Amino acid sequence: MIKLALASLWNRRTSAWLTVLAISISVVLLLGVERVREQTKDNFANTISGTDLIVGPRTGSTQLLLSSVFHIGALNNTLSWESYTELQQLPGVAWHIPMALGDSVRGFPVVATTTDFFDHFRYGDKQPLRFLSGQAFADETHAVLGAEVAAKLGLNSGDELVVSHGSGGTSFSDHDAHPFRVSGVLARTGTPTDVAVYIPLAGLGLVHGEYIRADERPDHEHDHDAADEPPVYTLSAVLLGLESKPLALRLQRQINTYKGEPLTAIMPGMALQEFWKTLRLFEQALLAISVLVVATGLLGMLTTLLASLRERRREMAVLRSVGAGPGTIFGLLISEALLLTFFGVAIGVGLLYLIIVLGGTAIQDTIGITLSATAITLNEWYLMAAILIAAGLLSLFPAWRAYRNALADGLSVKL
Amino acid sequence: MGSCITLNNLSFSWPGARTPLLSIPELSIDQGERVLLRGPSGSGKSTLLSLIAGIHAPAPGQLEVLGKDLGQLNQSARDRLRANEIGYIFQQFNLLPYLSARDNVMLSCQFAPARRMRLQQQHTTREAATGQLLDHLGLSRSHQQQPAHQLSVGQQQRVAAARALLGSPALIIADEPTSALDEAHRDEFVKLLFAECEQQNTTLLFVSHDATLDRHFPRTIELTRLNQATGGGT
Repeated sequence: MIKLALASLWNRRTSAWLTVLAISISVVLLLGVERVREQTKDNFANTISGTDLIVGPRTGSTQLLLSSVFHIGALNNTLSWESYTELQQLPGVAWHIPMALGDSVRGFPVVATTTDFFDHFRYGDKQPLRFLSGQAFADETHAVLGAEVAAKLGLNSGDELVVSHGSGGTSFSDHDAHPFRVSGVLARTGTPTDVAVYIPLAGLGLVHGEYIRADERPDHEHDHDAADEPPVYTLSAVLLGLESKPLALRLQRQINTYKGEPLTAIMPGMALQEFWKTLRLFEQALLAISVLVVATGLLGMLTTLLASLRERRREMAVLRSVGAGPGTIFGLLISEALLLTFFGVAIGVGLLYLIIVLGGTAIQDTIGITLSATAITLNEWYLMAAILIAAGLLSLFPAWRAYRNALADGLSVKL
Repeated sequence: MGSCITLNNLSFSWPGARTPLLSIPELSIDQGERVLLRGPSGSGKSTLLSLIAGIHAPAPGQLEVLGKDLGQLNQSARDRLRANEIGYIFQQFNLLPYLSARDNVMLSCQFAPARRMRLQQQHTTREAATGQLLDHLGLSRSHQQQPAHQLSVGQQQRVAAARALLGSPALIIADEPTSALDEAHRDEFVKLLFAECEQQNTTLLFVSHDATLDRHFPRTIELTRLNQATGGGT
């Protein structure tokens, strides 16, 4: 039966191929969208790991997450250096990364921090940051570049760069009196780390006039302890690593009710999930569109099968004459539809992998979507099974028509 | 020798029609007989053939084929009987154009376990028997491999005959199989068909309106004389 269906399809190969092509393209779209969705979600969740709490000024959790992890948007409030010193002394805090945001280098966000950032920040599956070249900053005039920044701006270790005030692409106030020198470039991570410029807190204090080098201080003769002088007055956020994870909940409550100034503490994993939920509508719209495209592909097949029935009445009569029952004719039509769909799905999967393998980097460079040729997920198997089932159900209609024709025509066919 | 086809007060009308299309008091064709059935178009020929072939069901007791009352068999039992015991040759377009001549012939075994079993009893295979039949019918080995649509009409009809004959069914129904052939080819076709039917002791019901075929057949039935219905039809 399958052999007969194949031979018959091969006889009508032009329309069969077009049908298979339409189905395969719709499958590429459906699986592609699904894959982009899944992998974007993964990429998203991989932006930060190992950090137990993000502390910032009193604000919404999404806003704090976006500005501290993705460097998107600006926080209206800041948290004081005093609060930061208090945070460090909380019980159970293993490490802390201060962050001061708000400046930029030709549109790329500047993150003022300490070398603790390079030591303690983790992304993906608790992977540490690696240096592609150079090393972390050693003094307040050094800067470290994310991989993407270095590539886009054509900067390398040893090159100079100027930080601008504000986060826009062009700024009216360049801090060109205090240029920075690139001390290192980070390896690519696929996270927002790639598109940021890291400078020491003291460097930021210097360009903002909040920090004066010890040897330039007017009261240098007075023996102020240099360590008492903060490099900047305020911070945007602090990442905290704890000695044990279960502490996070208690510490979060403690920080949220901190008396010194209004603060917000969030757990990054939960905040990421919450934020992703807000994108669900968009996700569902994408999925709905690709499902509709698949439906169009299958309807195309239905049309082709129905149209072919008229010209195949002779074929059916011959099959009837050698003893094929109407049930066999019915089955023949169903197997044809399933074969067409099966090949369509198989070719679609092949095409998808071809596109990912050949065009993956081009896609990432142009629209910033990372696609990897990972194995087919369970979810994708389900989708493909659903397509086959839908095709089987749709083919009941032409199969039923063929069944009726076979009963009515019998062996006599009016040509 | 038993009876192959027995009609007994067969009366058949299409649903909705007031007068019957066929009304035949009696007809009997013995096994191994070669019968020419003649009748102008509209005399109910096609309907009679599709009744005998089991496509349409008569009322119980009116039509027996190979001792089976077709009126009492259901659709799939009639399909099985046709597959196993009846070879059918159309006027034209007998073959699936996308299969080779050989595959077209072997198609008749696809739905017919009894044909396959008889081939086994004759200690031969489907493939061997197909090649032999096509050889007998004068189709060269290279033509046997060709897709059916590349064959001439005469060759196609011979392939159709081979398909009907493969696995030694009891009855061959040939519905004007020679009307698309010229005289020389027609006579040769009839001769070959006769020879094969004789060898397998197959009953042949040959339909034609061609008067010149009379001399080949020991028995000729005029449907217009047999059919007492006045309704007419196709």
